Amino acid sequence: MIYEVNVIRLLSYLVSKGVVTSSQLSPPLQEGVRGLPSLTNSDCIGIECAQCEQACPTSAIQIEQQAEHANVRIDLGNCIACGLCTSICPTATIVNNPSTRTAQSEREHLIIQTSLPPVNTGAVSGGGGIFRRSMAVRVVSTGCSACDLEIGASGNPIFDMERFGVSVVASPRFADALVVTGPVPKAMHEPLRTCYEAMADPRLVIALGTCAISGGVHKNGYTEANGANGIVPVDLYVPGCPPHPWSILFALQMAMQLKARRS
Amino acid sequence: MKVDSVEISVDARANKLRALLNDDGGRLGLITSIDGQQLVTLVLNTTAGTASAWTSRVDGDTYHSLSTVIPQSHWYERTVWDLFGLKPKSHPRLKHNLLHEPYSASVIPLRTGAIAPGGDNHRQYHHLEVKGDGVYEIPVGPIHAGIIEPGHFRFSCLGEIILNLEIRLGYVHRGIEKRLTEVSWRKARFIAESAASDSGAAYALAHAVAIESIFGVEPSLRADYLRSLTLEIERVAMHIADLGGIAGDIGFLAIASSMARLRGDALALGELLTGSRFQRFFVCPGGVVHDPSPKSLLQIRTRAIKLRKDLVSVIDMFLSNQVACDRMQRVGRVSNKLAADFGLVGVAGRASGIKYDARMHFHHGAYLELNPKVAWTEQGDVFARVRVRIDELARSLELIDEILERLPSGSSLLDFPDRLPSNQIGVGIVEAHRGELIHLVFTNAEGHVSRYAIKDPSVNNWTALAIAVRNNLVADFPLCNKSFSLSYSGHDL
Ligand code: SF4
Ligand code: SF4
Repeated sequence: MIYEVNVIRLLSYLVSKGVVTSSQLSPPLQEGVRGLPSLTNSDCIGIECAQCEQACPTSAIQIEQQAEHANVRIDLGNCIACGLCTSICPTATIVNNPSTRTAQSEREHLIIQTSLPPVNTGAVSGGGGIFRRSMAVRVVSTGCSACDLEIGASGNPIFDMERFGVSVVASPRFADALVVTGPVPKAMHEPLRTCYEAMADPRLVIALGTCAISGGVHKNGYTEANGANGIVPVDLYVPGCPPHPWSILFALQMAMQLKARRS
Repeated sequence: MKVDSVEISVDARANKLRALLNDDGGRLGLITSIDGQQLVTLVLNTTAGTASAWTSRVDGDTYHSLSTVIPQSHWYERTVWDLFGLKPKSHPRLKHNLLHEPYSASVIPLRTGAIAPGGDNHRQYHHLEVKGDGVYEIPVGPIHAGIIEPGHFRFSCLGEIILNLEIRLGYVHRGIEKRLTEVSWRKARFIAESAASDSGAAYALAHAVAIESIFGVEPSLRADYLRSLTLEIERVAMHIADLGGIAGDIGFLAIASSMARLRGDALALGELLTGSRFQRFFVCPGGVVHDPSPKSLLQIRTRAIKLRKDLVSVIDMFLSNQVACDRMQRVGRVSNKLAADFGLVGVAGRASGIKYDARMHFHHGAYLELNPKVAWTEQGDVFARVRVRIDELARSLELIDEILERLPSGSSLLDFPDRLPSNQIGVGIVEAHRGELIHLVFTNAEGHVSRYAIKDPSVNNWTALAIAVRNNLVADFPLCNKSFSLSYSGHDL
């Protein structure tokens, strides 16, 4: 009897909360929330200023003096979204980018410059065809755990990645995609390689978070923690430190399209 | 907090440390070295709220291990061997901790000066073998089944019973401590915070307190309150996550998913305060980087009250389930004696009778004015750790309200010169959601950081997991593990 009462109480609690899952897909970040930097048309002062370049903790920014304008170059694959450059920049050349649609399939496209238009990732629309809308991912964590927690959060009732057919699996043998977080320090080189080799073709590798893309703040040290590239071939890059769950969901949907194109 | 520096001979350490640990309020903070020429033993006095660093010169590459008389030093000695090449003689189980087989024996990353010839041979590692009729091994990891940090567990079992668990860490050793000596102090906070970002607020605070103590300056009271706010928000979010994880491992999915939703509400508090779900890059030496708007402070307060109400009913449904309680009781027990011997901290310590909470003893945040009220019990099982966590969670949500009620006005950021004062020792001791976190910083004659040592609470507590699962069912391992909430990245650095 007590058991029944408890179950009824639990069920009515859950029902009282209604549907908490967000119906929007990868909307912009809310006002006041920090994303990656982006560039505007406002002219940069040039090398006399270069305050952002000096402040950036990961040396992701370069200011190059060109004939007429100064070119600002930011490698988002090195950026930890600390927000220093956007708050320092006196000309609002560097501003906060609220977009969560930030993943790129080419490493170079993470490099943004005032002299070049950014590469738009465009819209995603699930997989290809009714039988290609699922994706089993294997996660290999080699970082500080915040990226992992955000992948975990992507599966919570609010973001709910399973509604798009994404599931996290416990073996590389039945995974379509390998998600790597963290800078892959030396002791993880071999385990990561082994995991990749155990996967069936066609397989995708997603470098999730700035560490996995470039090593981030850890690169070029004695632990050779320079990211996933060089250990396994990366197909998709998700910048951020850590990327927001919406950015992760967007990336996973891009990955489904890549998978559909390959198979 | 300033640190006294005392010279003590290597051989005198054992007796002095034993006496200190028997004294009321005596604690071992950490054992490390600066450059491989000495051992540094950081000892704490929780009654007086002070710290001193015992420096002991080591001639050559070896010294006598303390581990047989002071068990909690066993882990530090393994790490010091890897990073500085100082080998502890008669260590009961000397194994590499952070540097694995892919590293050659001549890689000694933090040692300066003459390096002991290690040759090009790669490092070796041997697991403890448990022998006997019917004993078998279950190896797990380094890559785990779910979304978890990497580590290797080797279970030696008889039937369904775990006889021994060997825990091997170091897979995410990224070289954080060395990197922290290579950058200017203004950029160091980004690295310190990236060590273990699920404790980012605590790491940022420990770093800030250590740097401020080197400058000999304290932040404004308003900054202290805002810092306590970040710390309590982090504690709330992570305690909710851990309780949800425990419910999930029992198979109580309604509670697990409710906790996952509520954790989102807790992260939203941090996002309102700092612009980031993990409150990244907000606390800095001198205070906090920006003062939050009155509007967001008000929102945090109302949302925290709502979260508290919501949690009360979920926790009540969790604990009123007899099956769930039965799964947690008498499982994964750590006795008070072993908890004291291994210097357990945080929830793990407080659930085994150790009434220690750094918020009560060492200045960080505004805890001199706020009473955190230490929750503790003596049972030492999974259930005890759950109960302590629940009490702390409730108290943290009250604290959030008190902080916002009493938040003093004034500035929230001080600036410092570009150069750090020379030859100083600074320390930051913070009660992170996992327990006592220490950042210990030394500057040299040029005002550069010559050594940056971090002690995550998990360094103390990993051993507790190995103790707790002994003679328990293999199937209860995940539950035991979750109840300790251990960090791999904070340990590995
Ligand atoms: S936001 Fe990114 S690019 Fe800008 S300073 Fe920080 S790390 Fe550098
Ligand atoms: S990218 Fe940032 S959040 Fe992700 S593992 Fe690296 S430091 Fe952690």
